[in-house]
Amino acid sequence: MEDSRKMIEVDNLSVIYPGGIKALDGVSFSVPEQEIFGLLGPNGAGKTTLIMVLTTLLAPTGGLARVNGIDVAKDKNRVRMNLGYVSQELAIDDELTGLDNLRLQAGLYHMDHSIRHKRIEEVLELVGLTERARDRVDTYSGGMRKRLDIACGLIHRPEILFLDEPTLGLDIQTRHEIWHYINRLREEVKMTILLTTHYMDEADLLCRRVAIIDRGSLKAIDAPEILKKQMGGGLIVFQFNQSARPETIDQAMNRLKNQDFVREITQKNSEYLLLTDNSEESLPLFFEALDGLRLNLKKVTLKMPSLDDVFLYHTGRQLREESVSREEMDRVRSSMRRLRKTR
Amino acid sequence: MTAMTIGLKGAYYIFWREIKRFTGQKMRILMSVVQPVIWLVLMGSMMARLTDNPVTAEMIGVDNYLAFMVPGVMMMSSLYTGVFGGISIIWDRRMGFLIKLLSAPIPRYSIALGKISALVLQTMFQASVIAILAAVMGITFATGLPGILVTLFICGLFAAIMSCISLFLSASIRTPETLFSVINFLTLPLVFSSSALFPTAVMPDWIRVIARFNPISYAVTPVRDLVISGWEWGTLATGIWLLLLMFLILFVLVYYRFEKGSLL
Repeated sequence: MEDSRKMIEVDNLSVIYPGGIKALDGVSFSVPEQEIFGLLGPNGAGKTTLIMVLTTLLAPTGGLARVNGIDVAKDKNRVRMNLGYVSQELAIDDELTGLDNLRLQAGLYHMDHSIRHKRIEEVLELVGLTERARDRVDTYSGGMRKRLDIACGLIHRPEILFLDEPTLGLDIQTRHEIWHYINRLREEVKMTILLTTHYMDEADLLCRRVAIIDRGSLKAIDAPEILKKQMGGGLIVFQFNQSARPETIDQAMNRLKNQDFVREITQKNSEYLLLTDNSEESLPLFFEALDGLRLNLKKVTLKMPSLDDVFLYHTGRQLREESVSREEMDRVRSSMRRLRKTR
Repeated sequence: MTAMTIGLKGAYYIFWREIKRFTGQKMRILMSVVQPVIWLVLMGSMMARLTDNPVTAEMIGVDNYLAFMVPGVMMMSSLYTGVFGGISIIWDRRMGFLIKLLSAPIPRYSIALGKISALVLQTMFQASVIAILAAVMGITFATGLPGILVTLFICGLFAAIMSCISLFLSASIRTPETLFSVINFLTLPLVFSSSALFPTAVMPDWIRVIARFNPISYAVTPVRDLVISGWEWGTLATGIWLLLLMFLILFVLVYYRFEKGSLL
């Protein structure tokens, strides 16, 4: 990390909106070359504010931000030439064709006329819109529009790309397509990418490092695997059949409690939660430990720690926006609480 | 590239986009042609009766109300094109497109300059349509083709002035409805208290006073001369200088509003 250039540097950055609302509170981090860096947090955490500062759309109240070594407060136009920005909302003109949108972008970014045509073709190919380029954008699907938007952000071959919630509101197939393109970008064009998201799967899949942001401050920065490992290895959740006899269950419990891989077993109604250091590797050991007993296991599930758990741990709140059953939430919360106490 | 070149180039692409949009919106083009037709044909033929009466004809100073009206209609269409032109900023903001313009490596005033230029071109297009229509209806310019060209210039300049006002307002207004109400509040009285539709001679004194300070009058009067009388250099020069001055002052205002203020 010492040798590679710091493409994005944020040093004690603060943004206070009129009225005293602290959108960003002393945020510091840096992003090296060719890394995909993620900012994970719920709506209102400050992600968009941070991106707006880094893309020179918003002046910071305090602190420093540098993009490709240039201070965002000092030389705005130079910073802008070095970066591409794909905002949360679509920023393409519906009434123009895809091609015209790209031509406009090429013009606004002072691209040399001799290479414009070629670059436009290249970028259309990258996002798979070559056939539809001459059609008006209002005939495009949502996913196509997003891809065009990304194409516009790339056309001037910036070294750094900012993506604000790149797959917000898109269907699963389109999300996968866009993730695919983002990965291609990093590999083929060697870009440094900073993306913001509130989707765990996106952060997990794409980002080499993730920063958890909540209420304007960073709570943790590390690779997703490391963040999740800090949560322990996960849970094995199992349930016995109704026909299982209490003595057998007691026997099973005793056996398990003595196992090395078991940190703790808790019970919630008919479910048992076995906390372990590595649930994937512990699962076979689990079955080995219970070997020989006439058990009636109704079901066994593996609950790997997710970034949602990481978020919950660092902020005390759930990240997911899908409805979660109360029971499940309680369960996760109590195991998290226990985890914290055992440290 | 110098800073000014960047600014002008940026303005060019913004202008290019506005024109591309305009040419793609067939309804808009149609309306910009139909509107003056309605004014000229409907209002013109109805009001032509005014000049049938020798007394009123004397007051108006012309024997054909239609000839009197053509400059007024041109100014009105320039007025409306210009004054509603700023709404494009409101739509861009809503669409998310404004973000693209603000994050591009161009100065902010380019956005204003590009949009003003596009509105000027649209206005000159409309004014040409009106001139052609007028010719079809039998009105020829006393100053011939050069006079027509100068007229187009004045219409463009006038639209530029109105665009500045519109953009200045739209930079701070978020909803189209608010903009419409502000503009309607201003424009209709402005038009009626100028010499665009009615000669100052027939106005009550207090309106005549307003008409003297009304920018619309200073745009309409020289054009009227070009249509009806001929090369009245005095009024022409005064009119154009005043309009240029007004435009410069307003553009400086818009420049600073865009560069220093928030547009989001």
